[in-house]
Amino acid sequence: MTAHPPRVRALKLAILLTAVFDVMALVVLVRSLPIGFTIYMFLGQPLFLVALVLLAGAVLADLRTKELL
Amino acid sequence: MNGTTLAASLLVMLTPLAAVAAEEVIPLPRGWIGTTGQWLRGLGIVFGLLNLALLAVAWRTLHRSGLTPIARGWLLVAVGLVPMMVAFLSFAHGLESSATVDSCGSCHVMTPLVADLRNPQSTTLAATHFKNRYIQENHCYTCHSDYGLGGTLAAKMGGLGHVWRYTTGSYTQPIKIAHPYPNLRCLGCHGTSQKFQNSPGHLKEMMPSMLDNTIPCLTCHGPAHPAAKQAASR
Repeated sequence: MTAHPPRVRALKLAILLTAVFDVMALVVLVRSLPIGFTIYMFLGQPLFLVALVLLAGAVLADLRTKELL
Repeated sequence: MNGTTLAASLLVMLTPLAAVAAEEVIPLPRGWIGTTGQWLRGLGIVFGLLNLALLAVAWRTLHRSGLTPIARGWLLVAVGLVPMMVAFLSFAHGLESSATVDSCGSCHVMTPLVADLRNPQSTTLAATHFKNRYIQENHCYTCHSDYGLGGTLAAKMGGLGHVWRYTTGSYTQPIKIAHPYPNLRCLGCHGTSQKFQNSPGHLKEMMPSMLDNTIPCLTCHGPAHPAAKQAASR
C-alpha cells in the first residue's frame, strides 16, 4: 500500500459527504418541500462541493507524488 | 408488454404525479410516456440510489486495499461523476416543483388561499383562473412572478424569504402581499387578447393608467383571494 493515510482519510470523508449530499438529493426527489429544497441547496450542494475539492486535492497530490505534475 | 407500456408502468411506480394524471377524466394521448419533469425525477431517483451503492463499493475498496488504481476508479465515478448527474437532476426537479400549487400550499398559512383557489364555488379571481384553467399549471407562481429570467430569479429569491420567515415564525397574520400587485402581470397574458381589447371597460385612453398601475386591475376584477375579499367587505 503506497497511499498516504491522511489522503485516504480525506477521501473517506469525501465519500461520507457525498453520501449525505446524495441522501438529501433523494429526499428532494421523492418528496420536494420548500424547506427540504432550501436545506438541500444551502447545505447539501456545498457538502458535495467540499467532497469534490477533497477528491481533486487527492488526485493532485497523487500526481505530484508520481512526479507527473 | 411493449417498450412504451413498460416505460409508462415504470413512471407510474416512480412518480405519484403520473398516478394523479391517470385519475384525470381526460385520457392521456396515445403513446404517453410521461412528462420531462417525471423523467427527470425518475432518473434522479435511479442515479441517486446507484450513487449510494457506488459510494459503498468505493468505501469498501478504499478501506480494504488503500488508494489502489481500482479504488481511484471507483472514487472518480462515485464522488466525481455520478453525483454530478444527481445534483443536476435533483436541482432541476426541486426548482420545478417549487413552482407548483402543492409547494405553495405546503405552508399552513397558505391553506385557506389554496383551498379557495381549488374551490369551484368560489368567485375570487384566483379561483376563476384555476377552475377555468386560464393557467394550465403552477397557478400561484404564474400570477406571483414577473415575466422573463429576471422575474424567475426575483420570485425564487422571494421564495427563499418566505421559507425563512415561515421557518423562523417571523411573520404576522393575516399574511398580505408585500407590494401592490403590478398590472403588467395581468396584461402580459390578457393585454393583447381580443376579449380584453374589445371590452367596453378597457378603453384605449385608460391603457397608460393601467400600465402605470394608477388603475389597478383588481379594483374592478378583485378580490384575488378570500383574505382580500374580507378586507374589501369591511
